[in-house]
Amino acid sequence: MEEVLAIVAIFIALPWIILHYVTKWKTSATITSDDEALLEELYSLAKRLDERMDTVERLVASDNPDFKPARLIHDREIDNEKLRELDRMLAEKKGAHQ
Amino acid sequence: MNGPPVNTSRTTLYRDKQNAKLMGVCAGIADYTGVNALWVRLGFIGLTFVAGGVTIPFYFAAGLLLNKKPPHLYVDREEQQYWQRVRQSPKRTAREIRARMRDIDRRLAEVETYYVSSNPRLTAEIERLR
Repeated sequence: MEEVLAIVAIFIALPWIILHYVTKWKTSATITSDDEALLEELYSLAKRLDERMDTVERLVASDNPDFKPARLIHDREIDNEKLRELDRMLAEKKGAHQ
Repeated sequence: MNGPPVNTSRTTLYRDKQNAKLMGVCAGIADYTGVNALWVRLGFIGLTFVAGGVTIPFYFAAGLLLNKKPPHLYVDREEQQYWQRVRQSPKRTAREIRARMRDIDRRLAEVETYYVSSNPRLTAEIERLR
């Protein structure tokens, strides 16, 4: 009984699982090099626009102190990086004064 | 620093010789999937023990067949993570890009509304004329 179970597991169940995932992998949508180029362009475009928007917001905020740009997504790494640098510079300044 | 050549594919599996321990296959898989290289290596070693060394020829076959990763494939860490997400699910990445574009649109609209509704420069001009 146990041998039959082992044979079934090795010769039927195992290839079944493998073939199942192989077909799944084959039928899943793959991206072409055109898609890749498009995604790359979108990435750099979004990044550039984001940076430009940051600059515009900063310019408006420096002209008008009551303008506070609201952030939908808080605690983003890309924003935190700059804030950390600012913190570091402030700490250095404080250290230089003492 | 100049970027990678335009025709280098970012969706193929490479072996990562820069972060390699032996041939860079595990480091390449780690770079491809975004899983930490340590876990890939531990998993591979564990699998080798369990399977009784069957995986070792596969490792060397992969080491010989896979191309080396071009040195400056990604400009920074953020770009590397972006392509890891693309490889996991291009559809989700497209949605993320759309969300990012919408966020920029919203912020731009906010600046526009600010200038249209409060118009601080116009009020300043009026103040000056009084």
